Amino acid sequence: MKKRLLLLSFFVASVFAASAQDTTKADPPLIISGSVDTYYKYDFSKHSNIPTSFASDNNSISIGMIDLALKKKVGKASFVGELSFGPRGQAQSLPTAAGTYDETNNSFHIQNLYVSYDVTDKFNLTGGYMATFMGYEVISPAGNFNYSTSYLFTNGPFQNPGFKATYAFTSKVSLMAGIFNDSWNYYTSVNQVNTFGAQLMLAPVKGWTAYLNVLTGKLSGTEFDLTTSYQITDAFKLGLNAATFKPADVVGTGGFTGVALYPQLAVSKDVTFGLRGEYFKTKTGSYATLGPAPGSSVFATTVTANIKAGPLTVIPEFRLDNNKDVNDGFINKSGAPTKNASQFVLAAVYAF
Amino acid sequence: MAYLYPMKKVLFSLVCLLCAQIAFAQKDSLAFDEGNNYIYYRVVDKPTLFADTLYKRGWAFAAAFNPSTKPAKGKAESTLNTSGKFIVYSGVSLMRKEGGEISYTINIQTKDQRYRYRISNFVFKPYQRDRFGNMVPIPGIEVPLEKMNTKYGKKETDNYLDQIASFCINTASKIKQAMDKQPVINKAEPVKKVSTENW
Repeated sequence: MKKRLLLLSFFVASVFAASAQDTTKADPPLIISGSVDTYYKYDFSKHSNIPTSFASDNNSISIGMIDLALKKKVGKASFVGELSFGPRGQAQSLPTAAGTYDETNNSFHIQNLYVSYDVTDKFNLTGGYMATFMGYEVISPAGNFNYSTSYLFTNGPFQNPGFKATYAFTSKVSLMAGIFNDSWNYYTSVNQVNTFGAQLMLAPVKGWTAYLNVLTGKLSGTEFDLTTSYQITDAFKLGLNAATFKPADVVGTGGFTGVALYPQLAVSKDVTFGLRGEYFKTKTGSYATLGPAPGSSVFATTVTANIKAGPLTVIPEFRLDNNKDVNDGFINKSGAPTKNASQFVLAAVYAF
Repeated sequence: MAYLYPMKKVLFSLVCLLCAQIAFAQKDSLAFDEGNNYIYYRVVDKPTLFADTLYKRGWAFAAAFNPSTKPAKGKAESTLNTSGKFIVYSGVSLMRKEGGEISYTINIQTKDQRYRYRISNFVFKPYQRDRFGNMVPIPGIEVPLEKMNTKYGKKETDNYLDQIASFCINTASKIKQAMDKQPVINKAEPVKKVSTENW
């Protein structure tokens, strides 16, 4: 009885302590956030066709990843460490320690690992291994509306290790400039830190943000990117991503250009419908993309719904990709080359 | 069996304490005004002070409370306004993180031997996690506090209302201190010294 009473007293004390903590202004001791995701995909050709970064397995209930981010800020100094486990968080988005995308070898499981310091309220310095600042879509499934990914995302950088400085002129204009490793994504440079990156952020009107990005280096090539979204009404949001890439001379010739439009309409508190229409064109040359052959193009249409139940989002999605040429890579269920590929995905993402 | 009676009393006290905690949720400090908007409103008597003295003190409070925003004169006589924002948190314990920010306005009005103030115009701007692991505002989404329950669940709404009420209670205490012109007491902690000579 005494033990029970002691336990009860401890519980009551804990409740009061937690309640007191919640009403203070102090920063949380350690911020933990992340997500888990799982999916089922059915490709109508009965095998995987569309080269989306994630949702790769056909006719299988498969896992994405468990993503776990820790953040701590004391005064002006902070760190973020983000770990990911599972196909999406390992070989599909992260290189191994040896610099290959190989599920059988060890991975550091790191999506973000950086330290940051606010020199002033407007000026910040950050260094480490960071998610790329380029593009509309991200690796975390909680950060995307669509579950499958665009060609622009799949063929762009995922991470850029480096050092960057950001200055906020006002809440509507900021500029970031940084120096990054010579090759995207890898934990270490090949042998130089000579990729220049910059981002100009503009917020011309309420609800509209635009990011003008550039990343250029002797090994990484040059990519220009525009990422913008406008919350036009409470229910309607329009996003746009446009990019063009030219590989470095030592890597090859050609590259890609593309544009994707993301209209989204919230029809209720818990249900939002969205469309992604993407045109992706590969330039003539020797550089091979994850997409159609050089000198060709693809038009991809993805219809997605986000159905929310608290922190859980259920994502049914239908996607139809149409290549310019019959020999651009799609194979029908008879094994013959075809211009079209289509798939259905049902995914569940829990964010915390 | 003799220990059971005092234990029952302790148990009863703990249950009462828990009930009291539940009953006195801080959000109850907020009320609705004539326009059905959330408001924290107080009228305070200051029998010995004139309107202009109270106004100056109110102005000094507003300037110090939100240093980045200069107080503004209100439309009515002897009124002033200031505005600001603060962070509210979602989740508890280890899962606690920035859920969004609340913007608000404070209006102070004075007259001879009395002043009143209202904290109102609460608007919630939700945060989301960005690609770098930081919680940042979602562009273009702003929810007036009165419409929170149409966008968020009851538990989440109540959590934010409690934090807003807590902010109002703390702010009210600071307004009272400024209007009473109580100096901020920096209690000097005596430095503990030990003698190492005599041992």
